[in-house]
Amino acid sequence: SNEEEILQYGGRNERKIRVFCRIRPVNRSEAAQGGVVVVDKLDDHSITVETPRGLREFQFDKVFNAESSQEDLFQDTKLIQLVIDGYNVCIFAYGQTGSGKTFTMVGDKDQKNPGIMPRTFNAIFDIMQENSTKFDFKVSAYMLELYNDRLQDLLVSQAGEAHAQTQPSGPARRVEIKRNRKGVVFAQGAETKEASSGQELYALFQQACANRHISATMNVESSRSHLIVGIMVESKNLTNGSVSTGKLSLVDLAGSERAAKTGAKDHQLKQEANSINKSLSALGDVISALSAKLPHVPYRNSKLTQYATRVKAITNNAQRNVESKEIAQLKELIMRLKSGQTVEEVDV
Amino acid sequence: MASPNSDEWRAICDKFTNAQNLTDVESRKDPENDPFRSKYKARELLREIYCSLKSFEAADGEEDAGGESGEQRPPEQPLDGQTEDAFDRGLSGDSPAGMRAAKLGAVEYYLGVNHVDTEELSAGQEHLMNSIKLLDRCRVSAENVSLYIHVRNQLGILWAGRDETETAQGYLETAESIYQRYMKEDGRPPTDMTEYFSTEENLLTHQERTKRFELAYTHTMYYLAQVYKNLGQKERAATYCHSTLQRQLQLNQFSPMEWALNAATLSQYYITKGRFMEGRHCLAAATVISGLAGEVPSEAAAQESETESERREQLRQKRAEIARCWIKYCLNLLQDAKKLLEDNIGELDSDRQDELRSARRQEEEEEEKGRKSALLFGSEDTFDSIASVEEKVMCLLPLNFTEARGVFLVGQNYVAQAKEYYQMDGYVTDHIEILQDHSALFKVLAFFEEDLERRCKMHKRRVDMLEPICNDLNAQYYLLIRRQLMFELAETYNEMMDEKLSLANRQADMQSLDSHTIKKINHLCSASTKYFQMFLDSLCSPQGKPPEHLEEEVLGPALVAHFRVARLHSKLISSSPSVQLENLNRSLENYKYVVQYCEAHPEATTAVETELELSKDMVGLLPLKINRLKSRMAANN
Repeated sequence: SNEEEILQYGGRNERKIRVFCRIRPVNRSEAAQGGVVVVDKLDDHSITVETPRGLREFQFDKVFNAESSQEDLFQDTKLIQLVIDGYNVCIFAYGQTGSGKTFTMVGDKDQKNPGIMPRTFNAIFDIMQENSTKFDFKVSAYMLELYNDRLQDLLVSQAGEAHAQTQPSGPARRVEIKRNRKGVVFAQGAETKEASSGQELYALFQQACANRHISATMNVESSRSHLIVGIMVESKNLTNGSVSTGKLSLVDLAGSERAAKTGAKDHQLKQEANSINKSLSALGDVISALSAKLPHVPYRNSKLTQYATRVKAITNNAQRNVESKEIAQLKELIMRLKSGQTVEEVDV
Repeated sequence: MASPNSDEWRAICDKFTNAQNLTDVESRKDPENDPFRSKYKARELLREIYCSLKSFEAADGEEDAGGESGEQRPPEQPLDGQTEDAFDRGLSGDSPAGMRAAKLGAVEYYLGVNHVDTEELSAGQEHLMNSIKLLDRCRVSAENVSLYIHVRNQLGILWAGRDETETAQGYLETAESIYQRYMKEDGRPPTDMTEYFSTEENLLTHQERTKRFELAYTHTMYYLAQVYKNLGQKERAATYCHSTLQRQLQLNQFSPMEWALNAATLSQYYITKGRFMEGRHCLAAATVISGLAGEVPSEAAAQESETESERREQLRQKRAEIARCWIKYCLNLLQDAKKLLEDNIGELDSDRQDELRSARRQEEEEEEKGRKSALLFGSEDTFDSIASVEEKVMCLLPLNFTEARGVFLVGQNYVAQAKEYYQMDGYVTDHIEILQDHSALFKVLAFFEEDLERRCKMHKRRVDMLEPICNDLNAQYYLLIRRQLMFELAETYNEMMDEKLSLANRQADMQSLDSHTIKKINHLCSASTKYFQMFLDSLCSPQGKPPEHLEEEVLGPALVAHFRVARLHSKLISSSPSVQLENLNRSLENYKYVVQYCEAHPEATTAVETELELSKDMVGLLPLKINRLKSRMAANN
């Protein structure tokens, strides 16, 4: 039902989020087993699905049927221009394992049918080429994998380091997601590499894929890791010198069938309000709960931030002593005015 | 009863060991779809042990199940009555009957815990109550006191889980008083739970027995802390948290950084209660104990290994957290002192200062007494180090500039420490919070400073610290923080203007101010206005339209901002009548806003009562001044 909710929210233009639906063709093993197709494209914006509870209809911004080509899909993602104009754009592929996310985002292994990512790489440079008289461009990229709750830099070769005979060089890369004062989300600790052509960008991408946790049983592993590619395009206006940076994030999500299995990994029973926590390691939580107004609550877990305890007030009303002076002065002033002194005599 | 060395007895002991192993070790490996497999096996073994014990009883002809179990013991009553009974009446703990009761009681205890762990609460309760009934027949002694405590701990947990907090309280408080009395009257290392079914060679050392017994009592303290918290008795809860921490140190059962963070958190609680002596003690202990966690791995070491890198992060961050707690200590100490010393317009009242100074002597005596009776942290090695950290900062309210400055400097030092880890890039929000605290330290120190010029300089430090950040932050993502900063900058500039004005007034009257001073004052006025206005603009829509309705969090500040902008405009000094007119008009405009908004939204009046009254008056009076000015201007032309 989570998936249903997400699918049904397609088409919210005011939220600047567009949801496309692509229907995968029946594959050989499904055909061999005599599987029945339960999804049907009604029109460009809706599909029907035969569910155990009957026929359901879902709305999207655009629907692509099983016959649609990679080119068809790419034409509709005209977001590259926006990136060059300095906006941030993000494309996600969401779906169960085996539903064709990687095919859509990356393409087939031999690249006979390249997906969104390789097409994007080329498109970026094509558009830049068209505008080369007016702008100076710089393109760089980072590529990360989120696997078992840890971010791995895919542009740093892990295998390479392990086999290296030279002295230990590469640092143990810990990538953290942070937001800087400009509000830009960046991956701290991630290697960023520049590229001067679509081919170069693609080569980086291939290097990244080689470094992924992918074993022979491809589906098993890639179903648990998310692939995140960030491409930054910095454009400098040759006329007025202004610089803008746009970022394109391309994400191939792990299989959504795992989305439900979130939550605590430990064996603790859900703690009700008045129950006692047996473990002394929870002493910190007990102490933190002694008052809702603790001046500072130390973090216990370095990954989580406790925004709930942060001060929400804009100003501390209890400390307005300039206010008190102001008010006292003004009161006196008003009293004098009211008591008959002329307005000229009194500096209001 | 089977003799201690017989084969039968050995078999029982083996069974017990097996059951323990199944419960503690094997159960962790149970699969998700059969999570209690090992515990069910353990239960069977425990039942068998129980039956064996009962059959020994029958064999020895000592069975006394009949009479006394029929006797209804009254439900657990708080404390003393129960305890006295427990120590004075009944079978001797080390008599054969007493030992039998203890052994059976132990099995019932383990069965009870087993059922609770497998989510069969009422069965668990039944077994635990059986255990109590068996023990009630005996006097408290070294042979059974540990069991006494354990079983009541478990019942406390059980009843709390059912939201019957008072019942839980009863059991735990009984455990507490039994422990206390036992330690006072006897104190021998008591038999541990696991020893009831141990062979001779496996008995524990005295040291180990004591350790386990004390751990059980530490849990009693810890559970009571939670119970008191749930009952809303926060102060008591805090005391029990304090005791738990204390015991952890004494018994050497703690992980340094975790302990240190807990003590630092507890200090924050004490600070909210104005108990700075306890707060300081907690923080000093946190500082010393966090040092026990070892050296921070160097950057080079962190590069080499993932574990070292992780450890470096952890240590550095947690120590930075303790520094932040210290900053709050210094800040609150100064702010509490200010609250006591200030008069009704926020200036230092020297009469109050004198009063407090003479009361100080008495406080100092109490501080000494307090130190002796208070719950001191530490062990032999750490008492001194903790005391020496405490000596670096006072815990009594500072009453003059010198004392205030001392506290300020300590706070400032911790600001530097905290900023070392919480650098701007990577920890924007944390970094700014620390700067805000630093600014607050300056602000409160300024209160103690008599010299206006020096005061101004302190406010300037605040501006220099916060202004660049305010302008640098992304407006969209850091909206709340920017609003806080804008407001603070506006108020700070206002303060500075006020001080410059007071300084100028002392030297000469308004008419003969030199142009340099006028320029300065006007600049500060404008700067303050600018930031109030920036804040108000941040409430508008992207198209610049002001909000129809002010949300609760911004209501007060927004109306105050308008009020202040009005005041500031009337303080601008200009010799040009047209400029004066412009200022007066802007001033009136802003007073009007306050009045009109409150008319349209009557619920807003409570947020700004005083400002509203004054605004109404000014809306009535200003037009007169404006008209007089206008006619003067017309006359002159």
